[in-house]
Amino acid sequence: MKPLQLTLFTLIFANSLPLYAASYLSDPADYIHNPIVEEGEREIDTKFGTQSPKGSSGNSQSEASVGLGYGVNSWWFTEVYGNTMWNANNANFDAVEWENKFQLTETGKYPVDIGLLIELERPQDRNSGYEVQYGLLLQSEWRKWQANLNFLMQGHYNATINQGSFFGYQGQLKYRLQPQFELGAQIYSWLGQTNNWNSNQQQQTSAGPAVFGKTKVGAKQAIEYNLAYLWGTTASSPKNTIRAQIEYEF
Amino acid sequence: MKKKLLSLPVIALGLSILGLSNPARATTEILIQIQKGRFTPSEIEIPVDTKVKLLIENLDDTPEEFDSYDLNREVLVQGHGKGSCYIGPLSPGRYKFEGEFSPETAQGVVIVK
Repeated sequence: MKPLQLTLFTLIFANSLPLYAASYLSDPADYIHNPIVEEGEREIDTKFGTQSPKGSSGNSQSEASVGLGYGVNSWWFTEVYGNTMWNANNANFDAVEWENKFQLTETGKYPVDIGLLIELERPQDRNSGYEVQYGLLLQSEWRKWQANLNFLMQGHYNATINQGSFFGYQGQLKYRLQPQFELGAQIYSWLGQTNNWNSNQQQQTSAGPAVFGKTKVGAKQAIEYNLAYLWGTTASSPKNTIRAQIEYEF
Repeated sequence: MKKKLLSLPVIALGLSILGLSNPARATTEILIQIQKGRFTPSEIEIPVDTKVKLLIENLDDTPEEFDSYDLNREVLVQGHGKGSCYIGPLSPGRYKFEGEFSPETAQGVVIVK
């Protein structure tokens, strides 16, 4: 497969979608998954993000989502959420997603905690079929440092155009300074088709600083947040992305 | 192709640190009981740089959550249920924990010496 295929495909396919459709594999409101499941945890999960393209190649795109999640037991967390995307010209409901996270090892038993992610998305645009994202979630800690590294695959099924499957990773490093305020950095990267990675400049990679925190707001209630500012590090990446996630746990 | 080959050692390194091929060595287990909204014992001493398994038994009728920011652990334990988590290796110091559902009474500390 040609190195430019991802970009060409993105451009071609983007034309078949409404104007607001994302032209990047990372949505503006993407976030770092972690493998830890907390049994009984219920949360209202809100996410927001906005991406600016490089040069004059298009409008900034924004995304917001609201979801409801539940830790069914000590190893399975499930969440359903809806996404809306918009730009200067258009706004529309984008998709419904069902995320399932499975914790495969006991927390702290091994040097790395391992989880599995399976996420099914039903885009509002039925030409896109169904999107499936799945992958391996890894987390490790050392003293006050915590690191996450996830390997992800993403593909569309029953789509009008066969898009193939893409391979990427996301990573996060944070220093657990205090519960309400932690410092770190995040990276989101899609390397290309699973069987043919793109050249460096054709890969979509964004990275930058992030802050995190959690504060209790009542008995059995807490608000958790993380916020990141990401720069695109390749020609095919967004110029910058601002993303945030706020969870109300109860 | 060269890039792919360079990536393989990185992935291999990542997988090797998982430690799955080297199962956890005999780990010390410490039992903590929750009764009437309190932890017993409420002070636990463990050696420096040692991994320990905490077995948490809830003798009350209501659920409790073992919660510790210092230890980076949260474990829900149902009423008359059991839970567990691994902590460490840790550097010397005091690591507080509490019961999230009754933080006024359910307080404890892990002392690492």
